[in-house]
Amino acid sequence: MDVQKILTEASAKVGPSGQEMEVAEYFAGQFRPFVDEVTVDAMFNVIAHKKGTGPRVALFAHMDEIGLMVIAIEEDGSLRLGNVGGVDPRILPASRVWVHGKERLFGTIGAMPPHLMKPEDRKKNYERKDLYVDVGLPVEKVRELVRVGDIVTFNVPATPLLNGQFAAKTMDDRACVAMLVETAERLRKLQCDADVYFVGSTQEEVGSRGAETAAFAIAPDLAIAIDVDHATIPGSRPNTTVELDSLCASIGPFLQPKLLKRLMDCAAAHHVKLQTTVAERNTYTDGDEVSLARDGIPMVLLSLPLKYMHTTVETLDIQALQEGSRLLSHFLSELDAGWEDDLWI
Amino acid sequence: MDLKTLTELRAPSGNEQPLRRALLAEIKAMGLEPKLDRLGNVVVVKPGTQGAGAKRVMLSAHMDEVGLIVANVTEEGFLRPLPIGGVDPRVIISKRVLCGDEAVPGVIGAMAIHLQTPEDRKRVLGYDDIYVDIGAKDKAEAQAQCPMGTYITFDTAYVEFGDGFVSAKALDDRVGCYTLLRVLEGTYPCDVVAVFSSQEEVGCRGAKGAGFAQEPDVALVLEGTTCNDLGKVPQPEQVCAAGAGVAVSFMDRSSIGNKRLFAQALELAQAQAIPFQVKGSVSGGNDAGVIQLARGGVPTLVLSVPCRSIHSPSSVCKLSDVEAQLALTQALLRAM
Repeated sequence: MDVQKILTEASAKVGPSGQEMEVAEYFAGQFRPFVDEVTVDAMFNVIAHKKGTGPRVALFAHMDEIGLMVIAIEEDGSLRLGNVGGVDPRILPASRVWVHGKERLFGTIGAMPPHLMKPEDRKKNYERKDLYVDVGLPVEKVRELVRVGDIVTFNVPATPLLNGQFAAKTMDDRACVAMLVETAERLRKLQCDADVYFVGSTQEEVGSRGAETAAFAIAPDLAIAIDVDHATIPGSRPNTTVELDSLCASIGPFLQPKLLKRLMDCAAAHHVKLQTTVAERNTYTDGDEVSLARDGIPMVLLSLPLKYMHTTVETLDIQALQEGSRLLSHFLSELDAGWEDDLWI
Repeated sequence: MDLKTLTELRAPSGNEQPLRRALLAEIKAMGLEPKLDRLGNVVVVKPGTQGAGAKRVMLSAHMDEVGLIVANVTEEGFLRPLPIGGVDPRVIISKRVLCGDEAVPGVIGAMAIHLQTPEDRKRVLGYDDIYVDIGAKDKAEAQAQCPMGTYITFDTAYVEFGDGFVSAKALDDRVGCYTLLRVLEGTYPCDVVAVFSSQEEVGCRGAKGAGFAQEPDVALVLEGTTCNDLGKVPQPEQVCAAGAGVAVSFMDRSSIGNKRLFAQALELAQAQAIPFQVKGSVSGGNDAGVIQLARGGVPTLVLSVPCRSIHSPSSVCKLSDVEAQLALTQALLRAM
């Protein structure tokens, strides 16, 4: 599988929380060659099923992206913006966007030029209310094509960097969905009894709503959430980040300890470098909802480190992603009927 | 050469070679003889039809664009940039760049919003905080790829959108370069001295030498200028409006438009139905500031295309304003 190609294509798909149709269709197509059945459910979750007779395991990575929405149309035809998910306003000035009105409109985000500002205002960050989208149309035409509530997504090409690093929008968490696609591909070459569901989930950025219903529907015996974690950058505060070049497993009350040990043992056996981090309570991933679906589901969290999360240049290490699919494929392959023995002892 | 090609060429002040080479080739292909002067300006003289006694009219458009330059490299292999020209650090967060002659891709990241304290959110990231990430594994690799002094440009594709608008980097002043190339296709009674000037963004250095060397009788400066017409801005702060025509400056922070030229430009625009506006603010400066003071002084006028989000990775102008800049420039040349 050409990871860079799938990341580049996936990044360009539209899919803010609640409107993941386009990205769901894309990932459904990517999973299809490697599994027995692919469905897109009522929440737009992509559920790719590789049938097996062993334990039922579900893997979750989310497809939705942070975005914006139109909250007002000014008399001059410019658009005001609201948030869909946690967008850092510092990334907005001079960013390019798509405005999803009756037609998909190119737009660019403008702000008052600094030399026209008062000196004290130049020392402040732009806030969302100071910014506008310019779609280059007269106001009458804008009103015809755009309504308050229309979504706005970022329009940024992907950027391959040195050493297999890769920068693009929506790598949180589409890089991990790509990891699942590659896991499905690798699994074809391995013996695997497990009944495996790969889930490209939706609405994670607004509260893991897609994962909640998918976990109910699939009713897995155990689950793995795969999401991104903050990688170290210049200026990172101590103990807030992990290293970019390798995967990370979380330790804490939400993570099932025996499953976690199994994951870490599997990594050691296959020489997959695995960092650990502590989640003293919520993991702020799909795992939190999944672990409490139905009567409860033993869950672990595997993270892919990412620099500059929630910007349009989220940067990952492609080798780390590929190590993730290698680890997951072995974990699934080695999952036997005895996995549940002494789970809480 | 079209505006797309012009804006996508990478030419920050002091490193205008790619654009200079392209202009030399283009002008030669037009059958003209471009020359390079001692400050790297590309100069073309096109004699007028009046022969001896024709006015010598200098037209200036600057080649260079704002950008960044690598000042040093961190131990972890990140590039620490300084701005070339006026680049507001607030507009380059989360943007893509290209570094050096080899166009090494890089990104300008920032701490994730999840990890920011309330103080972090308020603080403006300045050039002490900003770095470019090229994915280098360490300092040695970063230095090998992008040593100190490497010029950096925005990586922005040219896009036409909406009702005849363009989004691109470097519209300031590739619009002027585009207009000046088109001017050179025509013939005028006066002698035309076309100067594609260097280093405007760092102090109008190219035009200073060219203004002296070319000894013009009159000078017209073709520019892209600030436009702040969107976002419910009160009229006095708008400066000019995109789509309302070429902006004629009565005054900016570096020069006062010659009163006779100014009046002539407005009369010609009205008579020939060329869309125009008077730039509604005394702001910005440009090559006119140095050309007007060359030798014993030169009557000078600035004709600009309004550019929204000027000096940012994604500036915007309207193509009809570029056409108006060309039309008014040619009207003035024909009247000289």
